[in-house]
Amino acid sequence: MVRQIRVLNLLAILLAAPSTYAQTPPAGAAPAAASAVDQASIQALKDMGAFLQTLKRFWVSTELTGERVLADGQKLQHTATANMDVERPNKLRALMHSARSERELIYDGKTVTLYTPAQKYYSTVEFVDTIGGLINRLEERFGVELPLSDLFLWGTPAAPLDKIESAMNAGQDFVGDDLCDHYAFRQGKIDWQVWITTGSKPLPRKIVITNRADEARPQSVSMISWNLKPTFKDSVFKFTPPKGATKIEIVPLKTK
Amino acid sequence: MKRSFGKLILASLAALVLASFAMAPFAEAAAGGGRGGGGGARAGASGGGAGARAAAGGGARQNAQVNNSRADARTNNVRSTSVNNVNVERNVNVDVEGHRGCCGGWDNDYHPVATAAAVTGAVAVTSAVVGSIVRSVPPSCVPVNYGGMVYQQCGSTWYQPQGSQYVVVNPPY
Repeated sequence: MVRQIRVLNLLAILLAAPSTYAQTPPAGAAPAAASAVDQASIQALKDMGAFLQTLKRFWVSTELTGERVLADGQKLQHTATANMDVERPNKLRALMHSARSERELIYDGKTVTLYTPAQKYYSTVEFVDTIGGLINRLEERFGVELPLSDLFLWGTPAAPLDKIESAMNAGQDFVGDDLCDHYAFRQGKIDWQVWITTGSKPLPRKIVITNRADEARPQSVSMISWNLKPTFKDSVFKFTPPKGATKIEIVPLKTK
Repeated sequence: MKRSFGKLILASLAALVLASFAMAPFAEAAAGGGRGGGGGARAGASGGGAGARAAAGGGARQNAQVNNSRADARTNNVRSTSVNNVNVERNVNVDVEGHRGCCGGWDNDYHPVATAAAVTGAVAVTSAVVGSIVRSVPPSCVPVNYGGMVYQQCGSTWYQPQGSQYVVVNPPY
């Protein structure tokens, strides 16, 4: 933390006085932060979470770049995309694409279906809860991760903000054509950044998560797009097995 | 043991690379498809009318399938990965040794030992070697979803679909 401040100070000096960088820092510039957690940045997360919770029906997509760390520390990047039709509190259809597979996850509030179009296999689980409850259940019982699950947890008790050890405003930046406020957080072994649309619709447009549990620090980058006035029909949340589809068993996670 | 096995795979892989230049166009076509999908997703602005683009993002993907038969065996020796969500408990206390430490994200369908080795034309015989690739699986196999991924279980042998082929993997559980 102290080192970060020094680096920031140095940066400010270099920017402010490139020709006289050898002089002593001017007094009063960049006062030391009283706390590592900038409350305005925490408030920005609260505002974003509250706004997300007000969205009833929307389309959201993510283009994700992730990394795998090989045995010797070399990293490989991969990409995946996901599109989601959402109707709170309990309807969702997610289409997930990655190099090796295309999968769909459909939830109508009563039944969650996992479908793989390539093989026409589907599995169903009866489950009545909100999308947030679904996220936990899928994760814990089946080891299935929902894309962008943070979107459904921010603004709820499932996303506590008091665990954040460092929070800072990193200025403004563009994501696509959208002016965004850029924030950076540190929490346990995770460093993360979020770009939130500036203005009255604080939507996350980009999320970067750095995993510090591995010294190679694998990082994921999610570029997020929104449509708050989607045109999908209610029928998208109902899974009807296509002709020739086969129902297969889904096995709960085994604890080793 | 693992290391010598890796060398063995590398050797056969080298042979495979020489033998399979014809496969290259498949891989390139798939990469193009991926970019097409990404472009669709990227285009949507907040609050804007991105519905049509949504369809383009999903639908524009080509039917080409990924072929990983030329991938180096080392690419499957994954010790950890990036994470996609900040609010899942496992992300806060990432346990790289745990069952979800590797390869659990929705984006990551790489089975830890989906090692590409060799393509055989026929149905696999008993006790197939992990990493070997077959074009079809025995009719007695049972498809099962585990951890969001589809496998074919054939007794003690497990296969994971990979494009139009199947790769023999270590049992996921």
